[in-house]
Amino acid sequence: MMGLLEWILDLLLSPWLFVPLIYPGLISAFAVLLFIIWFERKLAAKVQLRYGPLYVLKRLGGAIQLVADLLRYLFAEPIVPDQADRLAFIFGPILLFASSYIAAIAIPISYDFYAFRSEISLLVVLGLNTLAPAFNLVIGWGSNNKFGLIGGLREGFLITADEIPMFVSALAMAVLYGTMDLVRMVELQSEWLWGIALNPLAAVTFFVLMLLSTSRFPFEIVEAESEIVMGPFTEYSGILYGLTMGASYVKLYVLSLLFAILFLGGWEPLPPLEFPGSWLILPGAVLFLKALVIMCLSVFMRAVYPRYRIDQALRLAWHYLFPASILSVFLSLLVLSGWSI
Amino acid sequence: MASKSESQVQGKAEAAPPGEIETLLGEVLEGLSPEISSARGAVSVKVPPDRLKEAAERLKAAGFDHVKAVTGIDRPDSGEIELVYHVSSYLDPRLSKWIVALRTTLPRDNPETPSLYDVWPSVKYHEMEQREMLGIHFSGHPDPRSLLLPESYEGVPPLRKDFKVKVEGINA
Amino acid sequence: MSEEEHVLELLIGPQHPASGHMRLVAKVDGDVVVSLRPDIGYVHRTVEKLAETKNYIQIIPLIERPPLADTANHNLGYVLALERLLGIEAPPRAQWLRTLLAEMTRIHSHFYGLGIHGIMLGSSTAFMWAFWDREIMIELAQRLTGARLTYSYMIPGGVRRDLPPGFEDEMDKALRYLERRIPDYHKIFFDNPVTRARLEGVGVLRREDAIRLGIVGPNLRASGVPYDVRKVDPYCAYPELDFNVVTREEGDSLARMMVRVGEIRESINMIRQILKKMPDGPILEERYLKMIPPKWKEWMAQHRRIKLPAALISLRPPKGEAVARVEAARGEAVYYIVSDGSPKPYRFRVVSPSIRNVVLFEHLIRNCRVADIPAIYGSLDYFPPEADR
Repeated sequence: MMGLLEWILDLLLSPWLFVPLIYPGLISAFAVLLFIIWFERKLAAKVQLRYGPLYVLKRLGGAIQLVADLLRYLFAEPIVPDQADRLAFIFGPILLFASSYIAAIAIPISYDFYAFRSEISLLVVLGLNTLAPAFNLVIGWGSNNKFGLIGGLREGFLITADEIPMFVSALAMAVLYGTMDLVRMVELQSEWLWGIALNPLAAVTFFVLMLLSTSRFPFEIVEAESEIVMGPFTEYSGILYGLTMGASYVKLYVLSLLFAILFLGGWEPLPPLEFPGSWLILPGAVLFLKALVIMCLSVFMRAVYPRYRIDQALRLAWHYLFPASILSVFLSLLVLSGWSI
Repeated sequence: MASKSESQVQGKAEAAPPGEIETLLGEVLEGLSPEISSARGAVSVKVPPDRLKEAAERLKAAGFDHVKAVTGIDRPDSGEIELVYHVSSYLDPRLSKWIVALRTTLPRDNPETPSLYDVWPSVKYHEMEQREMLGIHFSGHPDPRSLLLPESYEGVPPLRKDFKVKVEGINA
Repeated sequence: MSEEEHVLELLIGPQHPASGHMRLVAKVDGDVVVSLRPDIGYVHRTVEKLAETKNYIQIIPLIERPPLADTANHNLGYVLALERLLGIEAPPRAQWLRTLLAEMTRIHSHFYGLGIHGIMLGSSTAFMWAFWDREIMIELAQRLTGARLTYSYMIPGGVRRDLPPGFEDEMDKALRYLERRIPDYHKIFFDNPVTRARLEGVGVLRREDAIRLGIVGPNLRASGVPYDVRKVDPYCAYPELDFNVVTREEGDSLARMMVRVGEIRESINMIRQILKKMPDGPILEERYLKMIPPKWKEWMAQHRRIKLPAALISLRPPKGEAVARVEAARGEAVYYIVSDGSPKPYRFRVVSPSIRNVVLFEHLIRNCRVADIPAIYGSLDYFPPEADR
C-alpha cells in the first residue's frame, strides 16, 4: 500500500508530469485564474468606492466568488447557434484555452526542475504562446455573428502588431544573456543583475505588449463591450464562454512567468530555508510570487485606463513599441560591450 | 421680494418693447397676408398654406435660424389641422428672446404641405413625428421612415382626435 | 468588389450593451463607419396623447418619466407653460426653491451623463465614481422633495415643500465634497491620455452645423454658440444669479464633455448663491393659499409643506395656448399647451432636448471608426426615453 502511494507521489513529482499538470501547468493555472479574476474585481472595486465580490465566503471578502461562477458556467447550457459552424464553435474555445496554457510546459521552475531543458526554451515559450490568438479568429468566424467577425478580425490585426515586437524585445534579452535557455538566463541574472536593470527598455516594451496581447486595459479591444458586445465570444454561453474568458488570463499568467524569468531574476534570490521538499517549493514559490505581482499590476490597469481604439493601438505597437523593441536589442549590445570593458 | 419677480417679467418686455417684434415680423412677411397676434409673451404669425414655405424662407433670412418644435393640432370641428412651427434664433440676441409661432391650417382630409427641410434642416425629426402622429404629408421630406411608431402601424394617426385612448381600470 | 459586397450592416441595439433603448443601423466598411441611422421609438410612451386624457395636475408625474435623471427641469418647463396659461406666477421663495432643485438636478444629470460616457469608453472607474457622486445630490433632493428622482416638486403656483431644517449645512458639505472630487475626475478620466486620445478631434460638430440642425444644450455650447435659455429668456431666479455660460470652441467629443464639467462647477456656485440669497415668504400663490382651511395651514406651517388645494386638482385654464422653454440639463426643453377651456389639455407638445439632438447620430457618426460610435454617443448625453417621450 505504502509502495503504491510513494509510486504515485514519485510519478506526480516527476518533472514531466508535475510541470504540465500541476505547476506551472494546468492546476496552478486554474488556481491563478480563480484568484486573479477575484483580485481584479476586488481591486477595481476598491478604487471605485464599492465592495466587489462579497457574499460567497464573506469572511474572506468573497474570495471563492469565482468558484461559484465556475460552477454556474459548468451547469449552464452551452448554446450552439444554428447558424454557427459547430466544429469551430465547440472546439475553438477548448483549443484556445489549451493553447494559452501549453507554453507553460517549457518554463523551468528551478535550476534542476523542468519538464525539459533546451537551448531554445525561450523560443518554445514564445512560439507556443502565439498559437492562441489564431483560435480567436476561428471562434469569431465560426460563430457566424457580425460582432464576432469584427472581434476576430481585430484579433487578427493585433496578433502581428503585438507578437513581433514581443519576440524582438524578448530576443533582446537573449542577446544580452547570450543564450535562449531560460535556466541559464536565471543563472546569469543571479551572477550579474536582474534583467530589468540591465535592459529596462526591453522590460517596459515587453510589459506593454503583454497587456496588448492578453487584451488587458487599455488594450481591451477584441472584446470591447460597448462597441462589439463581446467580440469573438458574443455567441458563447456556459462553460464554453468560461473557457474563452479564462484563456486570456491564462495567457497573461504564462507571460508573467516568462517576464519574471527574463527580467526579474526568476526564482532568485532564494530564501535560505531548509524543510522537506524545499528544493522544489521554494524556487517555485518565489517565481510564482513574482509572476503574481506582474499579473496584479496588469489587471490593475482596468481601474485606471479606458480603452484605446484599434487603430490607435496598432499605431502604438508599430510606431513606438516595435522601434523600441529594436532599440532594446541595441541597448543589450551596448550593455554587453560595456560589461566586457 | 415680490417686486423683484415682477421686474423680471417686465425685464423681458423692456428688452423688446411690445410691438417691436410684431413690427419686425410685419416687415419681413410683407405681402404674404400674415395675421400677427401676440398673447402671453408669445407671438404668432398665421399665413395661408401656400405661402408657408416663402414665409419660412423670409424668416430664415431675417435671422430665425432654427425650429424648436413642429406641432400639428387636429381640429375636427372645423375640419382643419393646424400646423405650428416654433422658430427662434441662436445667434441674434434680439430674436432669441422670442419664440415665434409660424402657423398655417391644412384641410383635415388631405393635409399636405411642402416640407420645410430645405429651409430649416432642424425640422427633420419633428416633421417625421407629425407625419406619423397626425397623418400630415410633408412633400419633399428626405426621410420616408416612421420615427416613433413601428413601420407596420396602420390605422388612425394617434394624435388625431378620432383616435380614442382606451383607459383601463381607474382613471386616477 | 462592389460597394455592397464590402459594406457590412451592423445592427447595434436594441439588444446591445451600449445602445440604450434604441437601434443604430451602421454601415461599416472595414473599421470605418460609412453611415449611421438612428432608429428610435423603442420606448415611446405616448406622453402627448396620454396627456390629452389627463387633468393638468396629473401631467406633472407623466412628463417626469421620460427624461428620468433630469426630471425637475422638465417639471419646471411644464409648470411654467401652465402658469403662463393660467396667468399666475409663483411667489419669490417658490421661484428660488425651483431654481435650487433645477440646479441640483442639473448636477446629478450631468454626472449620470459623464458616467455613461465613461463606461462607453471602457473606464469603469469614471462610471462608478460618477454614479456615486450623483447619489449625493439625489440624497439631498430626497430630503427636499421626498423622492429620489420623480420629484413632482413644482406645482402650478408654487412648490410642494419648503427647505427642511439643516438643509443648508448638508448642502454646503455636499458642495465642498463635490468640489474636492472634480480634480480626481480630471486625474483619472478627463486628463487620462487614453480618454484624450479617444475624444480629441472625434465627432467634431462645426458651429454652423450645430445652428443649422437646431442642436441644444451642452452640445450646442461646445460648438461655440453661447445660447442658454437661463440667460436668453431668464425664468425663476436666474436673472438674479451670477453665473457664466460655459462654452467651448472645438466642438469635439471632449469639448462636449468638458462643457458639462464646467456646468457642474457653475451649478455648484449657483446653489451657493441661491441658499445665501433666498427670500422668505410663502411657497404657494396667494389665491390657492387662500383656499386652504386654517387647520391645514397650521399643519402646513408645522411641516413646511403644501396641502394641495382642490382647485389645483381640477384646474381649468382659459381657452388659449402657451409656450415655455427651460434650459434642462441636456438642453432646451419646449412645452407647448393648447387649451380649450376644459380640465384636460386639447393638445400637449413636449420637445425634449434629446429629440432635437438625435439628428447628431447621423450627422456626426460618419467616416469615423467603429470604436468612435460609443465615444460620440456618450458625448452627446443622449437619453432614448427622453427622445421618444
